[in-house]
Amino acid sequence: MLDDGLSPMAGGTDLLVPGRKAAGRGVALLEGLPGLDGVAMTAQGLRLGALASLAALERHPVIRERLPVLAQAIACLGSPLIRNMGTMGGNLVTASPAGDTLPALLVLEAVVELASRDGRRHLPVAEFLLGPGRTALGPGEIVAAVRIALPPPGASQHFEKVGRRDALAIAVASLAALIVRDEAGRVVEARLAVGSLAPTARRCPSAEAALPGRRLDREALLEAGRRIRDEISPKGDLRATAAYRREMAGRLPLRLLTLA
Amino acid sequence: MDADRDKGASPGAPRVDALDKACGRQRYAADETPPGCLLAGVKRAGIPHGRIVRLDTAAARAVPGVVTVLTRADVPGTNRQGIVHKDQPVLCGQRVRHHGDPVALVVAENKDALAAGLAAVEVAFEALPAVFDPEEALSPNAPLVHPDREGGNLLAHGLMEKGDAESALAGCDVVVAGRFATPAQDHVSLEPPNGLARLAPSGRLTMVVSTQAPFRDRFEIAQALGLDPQRIRIRAPYLGGGFGGKDGATVQCLLALAALRLPGRWIKMAWSREETFLAGYKRHAAVMDIRLGARADGTLEAIACAMCFDAGPYAHLSGEIMELGMEHAGGPYRIPHVRIEGSCAYTNNPVGGAFRGFGVVQACFAVERAMDMLARRLGRAPESLRLQNALRPGETSAVGVAAEPGTDVAACLNAALAHPLWTGREAWKQAAPAFTRRGVGLVAVQNAMGYGRGLPDHATAKLELTRQGTFRLYNSVPDMGQGNAAAFVAMAAQALGQPEAAVACVQPDTAACPPAGSSSASRTVYTFGNALLRACRTMAEKLRNRAALALLCDTPDRLVLTPGGVSDPATGRFVPLSVLAGFLIRDDRICIDQFVMPVVENPPDTGREFKLGFPHRYFTYGACLCGVEADELTGRVRLVQCLLTVACGKVFTLAGVEQQLAGAAAQGAGLALFEELALEGGRIRAGDLSTYLIPTSLDLPDIDCLPLPDDEPSGPLGIKGMGEVGIHGPGPAVAQALFDAVGLDAASLPITPEVVLAALEELTP
Repeated sequence: MLDDGLSPMAGGTDLLVPGRKAAGRGVALLEGLPGLDGVAMTAQGLRLGALASLAALERHPVIRERLPVLAQAIACLGSPLIRNMGTMGGNLVTASPAGDTLPALLVLEAVVELASRDGRRHLPVAEFLLGPGRTALGPGEIVAAVRIALPPPGASQHFEKVGRRDALAIAVASLAALIVRDEAGRVVEARLAVGSLAPTARRCPSAEAALPGRRLDREALLEAGRRIRDEISPKGDLRATAAYRREMAGRLPLRLLTLA
Repeated sequence: MDADRDKGASPGAPRVDALDKACGRQRYAADETPPGCLLAGVKRAGIPHGRIVRLDTAAARAVPGVVTVLTRADVPGTNRQGIVHKDQPVLCGQRVRHHGDPVALVVAENKDALAAGLAAVEVAFEALPAVFDPEEALSPNAPLVHPDREGGNLLAHGLMEKGDAESALAGCDVVVAGRFATPAQDHVSLEPPNGLARLAPSGRLTMVVSTQAPFRDRFEIAQALGLDPQRIRIRAPYLGGGFGGKDGATVQCLLALAALRLPGRWIKMAWSREETFLAGYKRHAAVMDIRLGARADGTLEAIACAMCFDAGPYAHLSGEIMELGMEHAGGPYRIPHVRIEGSCAYTNNPVGGAFRGFGVVQACFAVERAMDMLARRLGRAPESLRLQNALRPGETSAVGVAAEPGTDVAACLNAALAHPLWTGREAWKQAAPAFTRRGVGLVAVQNAMGYGRGLPDHATAKLELTRQGTFRLYNSVPDMGQGNAAAFVAMAAQALGQPEAAVACVQPDTAACPPAGSSSASRTVYTFGNALLRACRTMAEKLRNRAALALLCDTPDRLVLTPGGVSDPATGRFVPLSVLAGFLIRDDRICIDQFVMPVVENPPDTGREFKLGFPHRYFTYGACLCGVEADELTGRVRLVQCLLTVACGKVFTLAGVEQQLAGAAAQGAGLALFEELALEGGRIRAGDLSTYLIPTSLDLPDIDCLPLPDDEPSGPLGIKGMGEVGIHGPGPAVAQALFDAVGLDAASLPITPEVVLAALEELTP
């Protein structure tokens, strides 16, 4: 079916919206294909089937417990209706710069499992996302799953979406963070990713590098924020100007001060 | 009857339309699609101002499934629709004046053919210079929206004066001056404009329309298309929201035109959400310059206010909306010297029209913000300055009309000041979580009821006793969701001593119901309710008299209506209504009565430009408290507390009052913090619901509503209108609260995170 030019559909909450204007676009429903649904524990961590609904993932006890950054990101995506229909795979393939789960997947260093009739391959999310609406999906290839290694139990996780309202909002900016600290409270490892501030959701390596060895204090976080400003390339749109996005992006890491 | 006046509807009972709506059983105009119905759609301009140089419909006509394509040449009559001023073409012939202007009407057998037909209409324009700023539109060299019109782009101008504002301002101890702006707003009714039409072989045109004004629509259609209004029948089922956006023709004239050209066929038109943004009416954007002067002790002395409204290219009710805005520009305050000037300018923006709050939203934001400025200048608390100057019964309003007796605005403010949200505000602010600043604002609001002098605010009510002994009331004022139909059923049931289930309600139908004014102006339950109660009294008296014959009772006044019949308390005897009804011919089973709202008896000698609608006699007052949280990192503002206190006469159904207040406040909160059409060159950039953001349930707090004890003796069961008063508060109250929270002094709406973040940066450089 994919050879016939049909678009694979996994929920349709994004795919079908332009369809109101471009009538007659064909879709191939992925539901019913084996191995695309559900959440499985593996030796390496969790495997989230591409067709797992966002609502199911949000409710999943292991995700809530061990991947709160993802659970929080999903909780602010769309509305309950959209989370019931929308899927992990769909959010990835849409590859919106504002995709709510993407910064969370980036800090979790999730790996995308791609499948085609030629077999399977694996790509880190950062390599899967190429640009607005563009991914590394090859012809005849679909996203089968997302694989996530469980982070260390003591890691702090944080997600914040800044939208113009509290539901059914496209992110103006978002920040995902995963911070590992030692017993003295000093940062051992910091992973930061942002959404809606560049052509794709992206990690901020320079900002991350500002944190190891330091406590998560105001100075350190402001420094990370300054570096985020240098790493992003925000655009202005109806939701916010580029200048506002840049200013606000540099402030968002301060929220980590409220981490326990 | 006096005991009845104190009785509200049975508390806790759901309104009569609740179950059908909750179950999806209620039929709206959009639900009616007769078999074989054709679909009509409109080709729209897509440019703000231009001359049509070519319009070719041949390709569109050739599309399979397209039945006809109509243009200006097919329009009989004046081709001009409008409520008071008739200047809006049904189909544009030579010139388009905004992006949504209609140039061709396509009728097709199905959706796909309609879409293909619309796409195949070939139209070419010569672009004309356009004007998008109402003040620029009034400058001498501005492009003219209606070139042949005397007066150019100045659609309407008016002056309301009392005393000598200029001299008084010169003598004031303090004068503050500010320029305030409020934006255009879309109604976002759940049900977009739609309807159905058919021309019968008899020549009668039948329509089913989602409309607030079925009786007046007949005249608007007849005028535009050269028809006899008496040959037009319009039904108005329950509306899925209106808010003013369906007060005035939307689909009506286009549908009627299609029906004229395709006799015998049912034709349906239903605007999409996007088309509703593009072509529907909007709240007028306005700019207001205010100078407000007071004595050092805070006593208000004078106000000068100039209001400029952006009408878009057609009049609709712009002049009337400006009038009401001007009448409210002095706020609910005692000000001896007043000069309020209003202008409405034609522009090439979307068409301005009626919207809940009708000019008052704009005026209220400006005057309340000016009061805040004055309070600050005087070193006074905003609420104490308002209380000091609050208009009391018997005193003359800013435009010189004596305030009616009843609960006043000071009482509304005092009730808010006594509320825990106010008394506990300092503790609440101090308990703000990290990175959050809290603030509280409190403003005073008012809203006139009815059409005002010059235009009779009338309604006629018809009540029928059925042969089965139940009642049928003929509602003549559409229920757009505000609950008037349910209130009418409850009122009639109470007045006739029957359970609500014994009173059926026929929705407006010009062929079955006697005429009434539109569903608008906070007038619906007041005016129609009065007419209905009169009809109920006549009916009850009739039934007592007829029952007296059956019960052999020579003093009918002692008889009482009880569920299902008429009883004689003296004898315990009872005659069923079904038996009584059987003895009455139909004419005898019907009672019709009417009511016209009283007007100001000695109107002040000002506002002479306004033949219709000035001044108003009855006002509903209120106060609105808003508590906000501003996020220090993002500038996002959340409305987390909202209290409305109102004086709206007696409360007939508390749930009904609360629903109207909360809904209005939500719409006001949208205007304050979210909604923005993002106009650019007359084009709406935020033209759908993914970009034009209205608040969701997560963005609104539970809204506390506190109606105060009050009574309006002229109202049915003591009520006053209150469908609009709740919308005014959130804008200025949120602005005041944000000054409290972060020192932002907002002069325009909506207040965006960007503006708030900039204010925060000034606080913490």
